[in-house]
Amino acid sequence: MVKEFNILLAGVGGQGVILMSELLGKAAIADGLRVRGSEILGMAVRGGSVTSIIRMGDDVYGPLIPQGKCHILIGLEPSEGLRHVSYLSKSGLVILNTTPIFPFTVSLGQSAYPDLDHILEKLNSVASKVIRLDAAQIARDAGSLLAANIVMLGALSGVELLPIKTATIKETIRTRFPAEVAPVNIRAFDLGYQACSQAVK
Amino acid sequence: MKELTISSDAPRQRLFVLGNEAIARGAIEAGVQVAAGYPGTPSSEIVGTLSGVAKELDMYVEWSTNEKVAFEVALGASICGLRAMASMKHVGVNVAHDPLMTASHIGAKGGLVLVAADDPWAWSSQNEQDSRYIALQGHIPVLEPSSVQEAKDMTADAFRLSEEFGQLFMLRSVTRISHGRSDIVLGEISRERRKGSFAKAPDRLAYVPRVARINKPLMLERFERIKKAADTLAYNQLHMADSAQLGIIACGLSHSYTLEALRWLGLEDKVSVLKIGTPHPLPEQLIIRLLKSVKKILVVEELDPFVELHVKAIVGEHNISVKVHGKDLVPRIGELSTRKVTEAIARLTECKLPVDFAELDKLEQEVAPLLPLRPPALCAGCSHRASFRAITAAAQRVARGYGEDVEPIYPGDIGCYTLALTPPQNAVDTCICMGGSFGLANGMAHVVEAPIVAHLGDSTFFHSGIPPLINAVYNKANITMVVLDNSTTAMTGFQPHPGTGYTATGDEAVSLKAEDVARACGVKFVEVVDPFDLKAAIETIEKAIRFEGPAVVVSRGPCATIELREKRQAGQKIVPCYIDQDKCNPRCDACIKLLGCPAIIKRGDRIVIDAPLCTGCNLCAQVCPHKAIVQE
Repeated sequence: MVKEFNILLAGVGGQGVILMSELLGKAAIADGLRVRGSEILGMAVRGGSVTSIIRMGDDVYGPLIPQGKCHILIGLEPSEGLRHVSYLSKSGLVILNTTPIFPFTVSLGQSAYPDLDHILEKLNSVASKVIRLDAAQIARDAGSLLAANIVMLGALSGVELLPIKTATIKETIRTRFPAEVAPVNIRAFDLGYQACSQAVK
Repeated sequence: MKELTISSDAPRQRLFVLGNEAIARGAIEAGVQVAAGYPGTPSSEIVGTLSGVAKELDMYVEWSTNEKVAFEVALGASICGLRAMASMKHVGVNVAHDPLMTASHIGAKGGLVLVAADDPWAWSSQNEQDSRYIALQGHIPVLEPSSVQEAKDMTADAFRLSEEFGQLFMLRSVTRISHGRSDIVLGEISRERRKGSFAKAPDRLAYVPRVARINKPLMLERFERIKKAADTLAYNQLHMADSAQLGIIACGLSHSYTLEALRWLGLEDKVSVLKIGTPHPLPEQLIIRLLKSVKKILVVEELDPFVELHVKAIVGEHNISVKVHGKDLVPRIGELSTRKVTEAIARLTECKLPVDFAELDKLEQEVAPLLPLRPPALCAGCSHRASFRAITAAAQRVARGYGEDVEPIYPGDIGCYTLALTPPQNAVDTCICMGGSFGLANGMAHVVEAPIVAHLGDSTFFHSGIPPLINAVYNKANITMVVLDNSTTAMTGFQPHPGTGYTATGDEAVSLKAEDVARACGVKFVEVVDPFDLKAAIETIEKAIRFEGPAVVVSRGPCATIELREKRQAGQKIVPCYIDQDKCNPRCDACIKLLGCPAIIKRGDRIVIDAPLCTGCNLCAQVCPHKAIVQE
């Protein structure tokens, strides 16, 4: 029985964060888990930060992860991963896509983008482990630049901590996408899975 | 096996849904026959979901021109005996306020439900007002769900209760319910389809003063009956812990946070908890039982101290010796969370906190300065960016004639274009309410000497831009009104409106043009511009501003998100722009400073265009003084 398993997905509008949580939630209930979650839409999505939450287990009621209780933080973008560092639990894990997306405020000179090393240092000060991935490159290898989110989903499955079976997530991907793009997404998932399971070892 | 969907008649099956889909499902299960709304975060997916299954389930679903009309549509159907619903965001309820206050006098014939979606922390709103106060004012009973499952169940029940008590009901949702996700257990779908009929009953339906006086006592009687029933409704639940010192009264979603907080603190069996599903009217007997059993009470609710004030009144009236806490310990601003509730309970019980929150706050403070600002921004290729370049260039030219320090005034409105508030556009000086741009401009016109260029979107124009436009004609306000027409309601998810040519359920409809409306309203200067023909657009807007009297410019360009999607689907190539580095002067920055397009980025000393983001709109090529930007 799963009591509480919390995943926070952080990225930028357009990266497919919401789709990831939709796939995770569907797969979780197919495996008989209770699921709660929430997301922020509307004003926030026009190129802004996007956060989505998926929580599983019998002790979960609310839609938000209590600060200090996130088991896995997925950063689809490095600075967006860092933005949620205070949610991590002491044994929490970070899976980080290392490709930055610079907001227009950087071009306008209103803010600066931090060094990747600095981001990793801060994340490492809390997380039990930070797994780094070039999801954009892996997605390109799989055959679609748009599939970086599915690479990250594969990576999440690859840490082998999820209470959802890998086969169930893949089945959910197959039914969610039209037949012509499903194979590319499955390939992206598998490559993400492999990249991550190697990193864990 | 066929995949389960929101319209599947599959009782007891589980489905993973968005909260708003759950609300729509509740209405479907209740056999709703008419649903209307106006899009607004966080409520939009309710009508959106229903419109997608309307034909299959034989329902009438519409996007109305505004919330007042949406509520009137539902009320009209209810008067004719059908189950009907209107859904809107909290500030939309303000627009519907007028009919709402009298509708509660009528006594619902067909079940009538208003869904009000509040937005604590104003994630996508101009304020975070609490809809329960509007219900209080109108004697409208309120159901407030604690979870997505309950949102579905309560919506279905609201129709039944509305008919049982003959009263309009409100379902109060909040962002984290409406945009929460959860597995829900489906119920049976009612297949009952009534035929509407209108029975003349002026003493109940035609509110002249005499009728108001007849119906107010009837309304109050109905409300008293509902108040008595509240104590036995399953949505209100009292769990008494043995010899508890503390009792918690948790309303709606706060109950979920409370359960998690108590478990986190290890206090599950030590604190009595009253779950409130009907904040108005409250289950008074259950509250009195709890109040008499403990020394301290903590009221946990999102936004204002609505339940708290009523609980304090009960304490006073019944002279109960108990200390009531609420907003002294639980924030009144923003969303609640398990952490906030945990901290409040820990203070009252002198429990140790399960996590060192101070340490987490310190970490957050350390990280904050490292994070780049990532506010939402107009999309690459957005026609509003072009419109604002034209508006500000034209207005500044005219302002020079008014005097050296005169700045143009830009009353703004609600939609994607509110994002022009920030640099480099800086073209939203006010943003108050839907249609408020034209309205405020009317007032300013009579008291300041400056060019006034008010702007709003096409959907907002039909929603509430027309009365202030007529007002400007009638009262001779010297203002320029720009309609930023991208032929959709973009911010809330691309819903159709009276200008788009089709309805919520995809049927063909008229396509009203803002310029035709403006001419019909008596505006003497009406022009349509293509904002991507920048030079011509600037000239036309300048003429409009110099025109004596109200002027209207419709700046018409496509929504980049929709256009891109359509091009991709049609297999059309998108040809991005690029910067010829030999011609570019990287110290000039005009493209960045004038446009702030997310596709134009600085890479080291160079300015480049991010090709996958660029839509090839060509606007930057028109502002580059060195002619360095070209399309491939």
